[in-house]
Amino acid sequence: MPRILIVEDDRTTGEYLARGLGEAGFAVELSVDGADGLHRLLEGGIDLAIVDVMLPRLDGFALVKALRAAGVQMPVLHLTARDAVADRVHGLESGADDYLVKPFAFTELLARVRTLLRRGEPRAETTRLSVADLELDLVRRRAVRSGRRIDLTAKEFALLELLLRRRGEVLPRSLIAAEVWDMNFDSDTNVVEVAIRRLRAKIDDGFEHKLIRTLRGMGYVLEAEG
Amino acid sequence: MNGEANGGRDAAGAAGEDERAPRRVRASLTLRLSLLFAAASTTVLLALGQFMAGSVDRHFVELDLQLAEDKLELVRVALADIRPPLDLAAIDARLAMVLQGHDDIALRVDGPDGQLWFSNLAGAALQPAAASAAVMAATTETPGLTRWADPAIPREHRHGASSPSGGPPPLALLRWSYEGVTFRGLARVLPTNLPGTPAAIVSVGVDTAHHEHYLASLRRALWGFVATAVVAMGLLGWAAARRGLAPLRTLGKAAERVTAQQLDRRLPVQDLPVEVGELAAQLNTMLARLEAAFDRLTALSSDLAHEMRTPVTGLITQTQVVLARPRDAAGYREALLANAQGLERLSRMVSDMLLLAKAENGLLPPMANTVPLAALARQVAEFHEGPAADRGLSLEVRGDSQAPGDRGLLARALSNLVSNAIRHAHAGTSVTISISGTPGGAMGGVAVQAAADVLSARAPCDPRPGVRVCVRNAGDALSDETLARMFDRFWRADAARARDPESAGLGLGLALVRSIARAHGGEAGASHRAGTTEVWIDLPGFSGPIASAAGSSRPAEP
Repeated sequence: MPRILIVEDDRTTGEYLARGLGEAGFAVELSVDGADGLHRLLEGGIDLAIVDVMLPRLDGFALVKALRAAGVQMPVLHLTARDAVADRVHGLESGADDYLVKPFAFTELLARVRTLLRRGEPRAETTRLSVADLELDLVRRRAVRSGRRIDLTAKEFALLELLLRRRGEVLPRSLIAAEVWDMNFDSDTNVVEVAIRRLRAKIDDGFEHKLIRTLRGMGYVLEAEG
Repeated sequence: MNGEANGGRDAAGAAGEDERAPRRVRASLTLRLSLLFAAASTTVLLALGQFMAGSVDRHFVELDLQLAEDKLELVRVALADIRPPLDLAAIDARLAMVLQGHDDIALRVDGPDGQLWFSNLAGAALQPAAASAAVMAATTETPGLTRWADPAIPREHRHGASSPSGGPPPLALLRWSYEGVTFRGLARVLPTNLPGTPAAIVSVGVDTAHHEHYLASLRRALWGFVATAVVAMGLLGWAAARRGLAPLRTLGKAAERVTAQQLDRRLPVQDLPVEVGELAAQLNTMLARLEAAFDRLTALSSDLAHEMRTPVTGLITQTQVVLARPRDAAGYREALLANAQGLERLSRMVSDMLLLAKAENGLLPPMANTVPLAALARQVAEFHEGPAADRGLSLEVRGDSQAPGDRGLLARALSNLVSNAIRHAHAGTSVTISISGTPGGAMGGVAVQAAADVLSARAPCDPRPGVRVCVRNAGDALSDETLARMFDRFWRADAARARDPESAGLGLGLALVRSIARAHGGEAGASHRAGTTEVWIDLPGFSGPIASAAGSSRPAEP
């Protein structure tokens, strides 16, 4: 079970993040100030750190700098309330791996955390993906469910591949838009909903077992078990 | 040290230290100017005084030596009258006559053998050895003479005046004191008619007391005058500087009246002298810029507050109503879900408003990359293919060009335009993204373009100079008010629909389009003609060659 340290001085945010990540299957620890957090990180045993930028005693940038100076290489995700470009650059220059600007959706955070944790693992060079009776041939860009060939557009295929690669994870709309269409902004359009609906019509309609589920207010998830 | 939090605290700490630190004395401009006036006038007056005293002194020395010379001439004549044998009494009588009425003259005549032939009281004070040594020294031109040379004596009277070869006999300058009176004079070897003693050393001195006295009082007067003048110049300078700097105080008073509530106040430029007037004019332009920015920010924050009030009220009401009574799990779930959706919407609004604010205040990252527009348009078209297909719309991309800019921001602007077009297009028609661009073509003013369009009956999406990305859809006629205001933030054509969060956007989509266009140095526009709505972004032309062929057309993937 990956162990995550959250360094966040706002108790409400920190405790709910801890609870959410705990329920998502991570072992979570919480620090409420920078110096404390750095101390805990240097003790070892943490796989990923979520570090707020504005922290008492030692700010998030300085914390990560000190961490990297000590040769500790675990992935770090910054949380910041200030959406300034300088902050972003600064954040990543200090040695952090990713950042999220407040306010952010919890599902977005969860997705980023999983991406960061996966980054270290060697990526299996798979040519086929499958879940239940659905099979994806990544080389020939072909999808088959229960032996029946399904026609998908390029983007529909990319969307299905994403859902399959990250099966069991709730994927927020913003992450889907970024991964599938390279649209890195949170628009108020219903594009992702429509795309999911159209994809679902092709792969789930007419089957007893629905693979794609909508978690209202959170995102979409592909699961073998309903 | 480099974090937001610490940075803030450091700044606050530094400010605190500033207050605690002893204030450095800042000299007032008036005081500085007065002191400079005083220093300058002191220098000039001192130099003038020195020059005057010096020239008067030189003049007196000249007068003294002239008088001594005259007396020497009389003595020469008297000595020429003396016949042998040497009769000191006769000499005495003769020379006493020469000195008649001249108490301020010292005279001494020494024989060549060192015998004193004649001397009055003051003359006696001169050492005979001194006189003869002086003459000898002058005669032989030994460097020792310098000891005798009075630096105040003009050059023509110095020993060198009598050349050794002919001319008047050698001359020496003397200076000595007798009873506290300084004598200045000459010594010369003069011929006599006495056998065996062909020459005598004659020393003549002139009492310099009253000259010295005059000089001393002149110097005193000069010093007094300089001192008074310095004080007077300081005071006058202070008054002049104060008066001269009065416009600055006026400016300061005017600036004091400018506050956040009265940013429209300006500093008076006409009433001020040129130098200060320029400063005031520059400050006025600064104020104008600040006022514009301040107005934008005020409008933005009041819009934001206004737009947030309704959804926040909704969320509070909804939550409290749910909490008022125990509900089953499904009830709570529904309430939380509604909250999550409402909050997400609010969060998006905050982000969009922040982006708007940044774009309007020039805080976006530099638009440095070259963006290939057809590729971008195809990417955006693919993004919207689902909703378009839902409504039976086909999406088409025509033409190509490129523009300097930020790909992400342009994608966002174009996506908003396409989303808007899909929402308002008649079902079953097609939505076209046309890109027109002239390589190196500079963008004309939007007003000029519009005028040119009217003259040439050119549709807004037709090719034109500059780079234009135009989205066209078949749709209902738009009112003039809609065309004029559709790019304003929070403006919605259908006010009633705005309250229904399911169908309406945030009312920020087109405002973002315009802000992004402007941040790129361009503009956004819209028109409606005969059932066709066209909304576009103009961008400054890119001066480089266009990578892919212009005019290529490729429909979006189905």
